[in-house]
Amino acid sequence: MDKQYIDKMLLEMDKDLSKQGMSRRDALKLAGLSGAGLLMGTTTASAEEEKIVKSNAKGKIVIVGGGLAGVSTAARLTLKLDNPDITIIEPEKTSVSYQPGQTLVAAGIWDEEDIIYQRDDFIPEGVKVISERAVFFNPQENQLTTDKGQVVSYDYLIIAMGTQLDFERIKGLEEAGRALSAGNNDKLLDALGDSICSIYTSAGSVKTWEIMQKYIAQAKSGKKTKFVFTHPDTPLKCGGAPKKIVYLTNSRLKEAGARENAELTFYPNGGAMFGVPEYHDAIVGQFKREGIKHHYRHNLIEVDKENKIAVFDAKWQEKGPWDPVMKDFEVIPKHEKKRVAYDFLHIAPANIAPREIGESDLGSAKGWIPVNKETLQHIRYLNVFSLGDIAQVPMGKTGGSVRKQYKVLVDNLIALMDEKKMTAKYAGYTVCPLITDIGTVMLAEFDWTVKPTPSFPLDPTVERWIFWLMKVYALKPMTMYGMLSGRA
Amino acid sequence: MQLKFELAKYDEAEDKFELDETMYEMEIGDEDAQTYELLKSSDLNLYNWLKASDFFLNYIKEEVYPDDDNQKIAICDINDISFRRFYFFKVTSGESHYEYFKKLFSIYEESEWQDREDVGKEILEHLMVKRQELIIDLKVDETVESDDREV
Repeated sequence: MDKQYIDKMLLEMDKDLSKQGMSRRDALKLAGLSGAGLLMGTTTASAEEEKIVKSNAKGKIVIVGGGLAGVSTAARLTLKLDNPDITIIEPEKTSVSYQPGQTLVAAGIWDEEDIIYQRDDFIPEGVKVISERAVFFNPQENQLTTDKGQVVSYDYLIIAMGTQLDFERIKGLEEAGRALSAGNNDKLLDALGDSICSIYTSAGSVKTWEIMQKYIAQAKSGKKTKFVFTHPDTPLKCGGAPKKIVYLTNSRLKEAGARENAELTFYPNGGAMFGVPEYHDAIVGQFKREGIKHHYRHNLIEVDKENKIAVFDAKWQEKGPWDPVMKDFEVIPKHEKKRVAYDFLHIAPANIAPREIGESDLGSAKGWIPVNKETLQHIRYLNVFSLGDIAQVPMGKTGGSVRKQYKVLVDNLIALMDEKKMTAKYAGYTVCPLITDIGTVMLAEFDWTVKPTPSFPLDPTVERWIFWLMKVYALKPMTMYGMLSGRA
Repeated sequence: MQLKFELAKYDEAEDKFELDETMYEMEIGDEDAQTYELLKSSDLNLYNWLKASDFFLNYIKEEVYPDDDNQKIAICDINDISFRRFYFFKVTSGESHYEYFKKLFSIYEESEWQDREDVGKEILEHLMVKRQELIIDLKVDETVESDDREV
């Protein structure tokens, strides 16, 4: 880990703590953490290194996707293989940028330079990089082809591609096209204009802060201002992010003394705030406390930029006729278009799999990579594995999920290479540090049991300042230096 | 112990089920009753046991459909346990059936975003496979019969 960075981070953390009259030691005690545990995810690098037993298994491993999932996997493979032969295929130079920080940039807490990182600074020694895009997959021949026509063969393939942000499906935003979180998103920002924003790209999070300030100023001037926030009808990476930006906008409005002139309304497509009932109830309570409105089952389908109208497909259900065969009442879905005026519109875009996956034999009908959700091995091609956003794993689209997945994948891949039984299992763990205000976070941890699975001996539904410190100061070094080196 | 059950007939050409609206009753012995008691809390295990049990199949062949050797059937209800949703589920079916199939097929999606219709279609895709596993073919196995004769 970069000592200079940690020293700087700890200095910033100490300043924040001293404002609260607390020492770092007391703060960490409060969270039940040791300093090293906080930074490294409960294990120190040295302890982890001691556990690693190297394998002399051989084989050419190709990783498609050089983001957090792909590079962390490559790093861990280099730690666990004697003679690794690893190639990463990734065209974007800033693919390892720190996406969990985009909410903080959008609220003016961090700057863009706090989250932009260069891919090549994190590529493990000996790992080759092809700066091209994989566009055609031929798993029958163990080959893929890049957008520049290069044919790449492999013995083992790991798909770690990210999702695409499908803005073009929204009528009125067709010219925005499909975007990626990192890289140049000028076309998207031009299409969104000066009243619509999205934290789902790094450049977009910067623009979000600009637009937010503009409309906070409008509210502060005494003009009634409508802030509208959406949540799409697809799987979404960091499903908590659309709510985090609601909370942060609310926080900045309060700070500016402009809250009474602002109306904040959240329109999620689904029928709940969170898949885990305990966290759902907590969020509903927080929305009520803060005077934030919400309307379930609304999916953004159109934007009239000129008149500043968001059009939603609003859905509801009605009790249908008695079904004598099933011995139960039917449920009849209904829907209608609903037009909502906005001043500030934040869009959480539909997340979709890249076309080339859906069109290949590797992808499912919806474009995701169908894997055994525990072993992360492809269900048809046994030398193919997948993790992260593209893997068809329930609730797996967060950095917290990847942190568990990449170790499982590496253990299982090496077991396969060694012709041993795969024993590592992913249990569905994921984590969402839900920022509820500037200074408080509710640390929502859960797995496929749909129950809170807190790592700390504290009520997980309570918003805590100590988790804010963890979110703002500790998770980034743990990710950038712990995970990306294959250790945390 | 008495088993009360209803069946559905499977039309292979149309790939659909038709409810046989007769309630059948049969007596089972103590040993089978014990097995029934053990399995009744696990509906699919109960189904698979009955599907593989000679006493049950013979009763259906001899008492229920004695004149139709080629019938394909499925169990709809057995005492208070219902399997109807496997054959008659539709996107507009009630919430309890959705919850049952989401668990059975591990359709564990983030409920905060997912449309009911999408889940319903996914359930139907799984059911296309699952139904085939549940169908009981009453066809007389001629190969086995002829082998038996040779023996």
